[in-house]
Amino acid sequence: MAQYDLTPRIAPNLDRHLVFPLLEFLQERQLYPDEEILKAKIELLSKTNMVDYAMDIHKSLYHTEEVPQDMVERRAEVVARLKALEEAAAPLVAFLQNPNAVQELRADKHYNLQMLNDRYQIGPQQIEALYQYAKFQFECGNYSGAADYLYQYRALCTNSERSLSALWGKFAAEILMPNWDTALEELNRLKEIIDSKSFASPMNQVQSRIWLMHWSLYIFFNNDNGRTQIIDLFNQDKYINAIQTSAPHLLRYLATAFIVNKRRRTQFKDFIKVIQQEQHSYKDPITEFLACVYVNYDFDGAQKKMRECEEVILNDPFLGKRVEDGNFSTVPLRDEFLENARLFIFETYCRIHRRIDMGVLAEKLNLNYEEAERWIVNLIRGSKLDAKIDSKSGTVLMEPNHLNVYEQLIDHTKALSGRTYKLVGQVLEHGQTQATR
Amino acid sequence: MASKFWTQGGSDTEEESSDYDSENEDMGPVDNDAQTAGNRYLSVNASDSEDSDTQKRVVRSAKDKRFEEMLATVDQMKNAMKINDWVSLQESFDKINKQLEKVMRVMESDKAPTVYIKALVMLEDFLAQSLANKDAKKKMSSSNAKALNSMKQKLKKNNKQYEELINKYREHPESEEEPEDEEEEEEEESDDSEIEDPTKLDVSDQEEGSEVDEALDSQESGWKLKMSKKDSLLVKQFRDPKEATWEKVNKWFKEIVAARGRKGTGRYEQVEQLTFLSQVAKTPAQKLEILFSVVSAQFDVNPGLNGHMPVDVWKKCVQNMLVILDILMQYPDIVVSDSVEPDENESEKGPEYAGTIRIWGNLVAFLERIDAEFFKSLQCIDPHTRDYVKRLRDEPIFLVLAQNVQDYFERAGDFRAASKVALRRVELIYYKPQEVYDAMRKLAEQTEDNGEEAGEEPKVPEEGRVPTMFLVTPELVHRKPTFPENSRTFMDALVSLIYKYGDERTKARAMLCDIYHHALLDEFSTARDLLLMSHLQDSIQLMDISTQILFNRAMAQLGLCAFRVGLIAEGHGCLSELYSGGRVKELLAQGFSQSRYHEKTPEQERLERRRQMPYHMHINLELLEAVHLICAMLLEVPNMAANTHDAKRRVISKNFRRLLEVSERQTFTGPPENVRDHVMAATRALTKGDHESAFNAIKALDAWKLLRNKDSVLEMLRANIKEEALRTYLFTFSSSYDSLSVDQLNKMFDLSEAQVHSLVSKMMVNEELHASWDQPTRSIIFHEVEYTRLQALAFQFTEKLSVLTESNERALEAKIGGGGLELPMRRRDNQDYAGGATSGAGKWAEGGLSFNQGRQGSSEGRSGYSGRAYGMGQGGGYSRDRAGLVRGAGGYSSRAARGSHMDGSGRMVSLNRGFRT
Repeated sequence: MAQYDLTPRIAPNLDRHLVFPLLEFLQERQLYPDEEILKAKIELLSKTNMVDYAMDIHKSLYHTEEVPQDMVERRAEVVARLKALEEAAAPLVAFLQNPNAVQELRADKHYNLQMLNDRYQIGPQQIEALYQYAKFQFECGNYSGAADYLYQYRALCTNSERSLSALWGKFAAEILMPNWDTALEELNRLKEIIDSKSFASPMNQVQSRIWLMHWSLYIFFNNDNGRTQIIDLFNQDKYINAIQTSAPHLLRYLATAFIVNKRRRTQFKDFIKVIQQEQHSYKDPITEFLACVYVNYDFDGAQKKMRECEEVILNDPFLGKRVEDGNFSTVPLRDEFLENARLFIFETYCRIHRRIDMGVLAEKLNLNYEEAERWIVNLIRGSKLDAKIDSKSGTVLMEPNHLNVYEQLIDHTKALSGRTYKLVGQVLEHGQTQATR
Repeated sequence: MASKFWTQGGSDTEEESSDYDSENEDMGPVDNDAQTAGNRYLSVNASDSEDSDTQKRVVRSAKDKRFEEMLATVDQMKNAMKINDWVSLQESFDKINKQLEKVMRVMESDKAPTVYIKALVMLEDFLAQSLANKDAKKKMSSSNAKALNSMKQKLKKNNKQYEELINKYREHPESEEEPEDEEEEEEEESDDSEIEDPTKLDVSDQEEGSEVDEALDSQESGWKLKMSKKDSLLVKQFRDPKEATWEKVNKWFKEIVAARGRKGTGRYEQVEQLTFLSQVAKTPAQKLEILFSVVSAQFDVNPGLNGHMPVDVWKKCVQNMLVILDILMQYPDIVVSDSVEPDENESEKGPEYAGTIRIWGNLVAFLERIDAEFFKSLQCIDPHTRDYVKRLRDEPIFLVLAQNVQDYFERAGDFRAASKVALRRVELIYYKPQEVYDAMRKLAEQTEDNGEEAGEEPKVPEEGRVPTMFLVTPELVHRKPTFPENSRTFMDALVSLIYKYGDERTKARAMLCDIYHHALLDEFSTARDLLLMSHLQDSIQLMDISTQILFNRAMAQLGLCAFRVGLIAEGHGCLSELYSGGRVKELLAQGFSQSRYHEKTPEQERLERRRQMPYHMHINLELLEAVHLICAMLLEVPNMAANTHDAKRRVISKNFRRLLEVSERQTFTGPPENVRDHVMAATRALTKGDHESAFNAIKALDAWKLLRNKDSVLEMLRANIKEEALRTYLFTFSSSYDSLSVDQLNKMFDLSEAQVHSLVSKMMVNEELHASWDQPTRSIIFHEVEYTRLQALAFQFTEKLSVLTESNERALEAKIGGGGLELPMRRRDNQDYAGGATSGAGKWAEGGLSFNQGRQGSSEGRSGYSGRAYGMGQGGGYSRDRAGLVRGAGGYSSRAARGSHMDGSGRMVSLNRGFRT
């Protein structure tokens, strides 16, 4: 199933630290040999300051107690640098840890800066040092500290570029903590900035959006409301464009969100078009499933794809999140996905059929005869389906559902009168304002 | 631009006359210098007549001195003649008579020297000529006229003494001289202001080298006409390499360059002289400078815009360029640029000079000009001759040159220029499918061996002639092309360089070439994405015509590609615009189509001719038409069957409908002859659902053999025809059936059950077919939902009503500008989006939709149905697509309009521009 693993495509768009959870997941699923993953981890850590952790991994990878010299050196270096940064940022940190002093801060940034400068001799250098310190903390794996410092830095910082990268840092830290609600707030903040900021080149903006979407995957698939939010975010024109241009693999997540989300049917049609368009650049069982159901009407194919989807979901770090429930763990998303996918197939199937054999239907739905019958009866009772069961012949009979001609005509014209009224109202209103003027 | 620049030399004639005097004044001192500097040699040469032993050169007798004085005077006289200055001529004449006495005394002979006689003859001729020219005489100043008259008397008197000698001389002008040389001289005399016959001159090119030396031996060589005299003088000057100095070379060089473009300057001669000079140049910088002049002189050889440079000159030109590159490679300190005005004596600095040496020159312009000439020659040569093929074989040579120039620029860090050069290379490669590319590679490798010789040919003899060459330039840059195995990798390398560094136009052109090449390799989606991401559709109408043609070509190729990979709708979308005006030939610059409505002026025709694509780059029009019509057929036939009630409502291809009408009007239909007939025959079969005969009619087309993967394309076509036949059949005959079994359809259309199921399901879901499956019996049950006539009319009526409402709303909106209406709100969203799209790189989603559904968008947009979408509240997403659609389609069609009229009438062009701006 490694062929559907998106980690190599997702990782370049993430922060180093964010890749860890993915690697952890992969290790757990054992898609790749353990050694490879450990090596990847060391590689990943080599650029961060989490040297201790890297040493541990090294030990477990090579089963030795020795660590390479460069790691030891690096550790000393990191510690020294941490000390230096800590000192540089000390005055400001001290100030910020003093609750009384912090209360003196006001909403006005310039006032604050002025005040800090005058009364505490904290100038731009110290503020800059705070940023560096926070960044270093982050790289050492101290996410909560980094998040706090970055939050305070943002309150004091005047440089918008810096402020933006501080925001990214905070966002990453919140994800890693993991602190989903705060992270979501940061996400929205970032999104606003990205959308409103004027970038040097459109490419940069697209790149930022792509990063944002990748990072947001952590939040959306860990948040109850995430499946609606992911559609809200990804399905915006600008974001879907970005996906199509540079990161078509994100379509998997959007497709999954659409499938498990029943309320977004209006946007669904457009999304199907997008999938059709992107067929050549990206496909996996999930998008193929949608193509089968909604483009080719190939229901047997859809059945097959559905089974593949299950595997994909289980092996995806975002989709295959496990919930430990007592002794056995479940993947809630998988169950939800399968249920909805089945419904999709059935719905479309019913739309184009007048009479369906129950046995065939049961087979198509991966249910046995009785279950299928019960399922359909429930659907009919919930008036989701306009049908009758002919139990003598063992078939379901669909009621023809095309509209009466007169109804159609009325439908067509109904809106017209409303619009015309509105129009007249406007004309009159306009005339009145003109007259009074 | 370049061509304009280069051709200025030729058209400079009116300036010339005014500059003439001043230039001559300039020349005066130079000539004097020449006398003083050249004295030694002149005298030596004079003495050669008696004794050709060069060892004696050093000896300077009184006799020689006299002689050389005399020669100087003759020179002065010639100068005077040139400017028609009889006063000074008179003086010189007196002087030469005095000198004659001295010479006679010294030589102790009673026979006047030939030089003198020659001068007399020359004077006599000139006098007769001036007297004959009454107009000129009248214009002369009084003193000049007086001098002329007195000269007439004097000369008459004087010449009597030497009558015998003069006559003898006139009979045998130069007894010692080679007869050919004389012929040559006469030739030059007769038509030195015209363009000489290239082949003849070329012969003389070769000969002159050897002849000149012989001609030298005769002291009379100075008697040639001005230029040829100079030529031999030149050679004389530098006969001994050791004697040539930088100053001397420079002086001659300046003189020759100054003569450029002047009347009476033989273009070939100038090339000759400069080439010679380039061999005797002292410093690399100087050699470079001279070589630049050689190249530009070679460009001058062909004066008109319409003709092309002779092929052999072109080849030499390429060789010269390669030598230039050799020098540049050898001496990296030499910088070539056209922005700095170099010092007068910049080129004096030798190779040992430490700093950078700046030389004026523009390699890119040269290269582009060479390319343009190559292109032009291919335009002019009849493609059905061997010459054309031979000319095509020169392509690798040019590619080598371009490669070297590009390498040079890359080394020099001038990536902008390098990208321009890369574009030239791209433009030679992009239209070649892999097979042709391979053939070219093979050719290049083959000609390596004999190409080496052929390439060296012009060089080797020259080197042989001057054994102690002044400046030997080793061949540093490679002379044989290195092509990557795959044309795609080649393109990729070049194109990525251009995208990085090129300017707007270069990038746009490279992008189009890239698209074309991708399309050629059947990579439709890549090509399409490139096109959509580059936004070229929107901006192409603002570009120059040749880029527009390139765009049209790319679109045509894209359409062909879409067809080959089985994307019928996309293919039709690409091609329908090209065919909408019926001027495909013009749009692709592959010929002219006669317009009934307006005559083209000769000027327009010439312009158009200059834009034509060479034959080997053509896209086969028959194939293109076939593909277009087949795509239209596959889309239109089921569409017509589906909308029998109001056939006019949704027209996919107007062009196709028109053709169909024409063919239906025919009383008898004969067997198909051309592409249209074939497609029409297929259409008739298809409307009845007869897929087999439809396919056979199409299969019979000749154009298929032009396809590389003919079989798979035909297979794809067969599948498509079957599907469309099924659809058409269902549309047409569904009302006659109550139910239809799948098996029956399987058999009828030779399709698998899954295919039938999928197709029919699709129709059901789209509500094209009012039916549903009966699963247990595996059959289609048709519903009776056929509208009565009244009902259908009622629907049409409601639709018209909604259009009316829509336009009312629009009118109000226009009047009061926005407000609480939903509609304007939405529209604003659209605008936002459009703004975002242009700022963001990835607008292509909407573009892609416009691409897929271009036909729907344009037709619906036109009839105003978009209003219905709003009314029904289908959501912003949908209307977004619409906006993109209409915009895309609109821009596109206006491009087509402009494309089609661009050369036709200025009126139309300006009209279109008015719309756009």
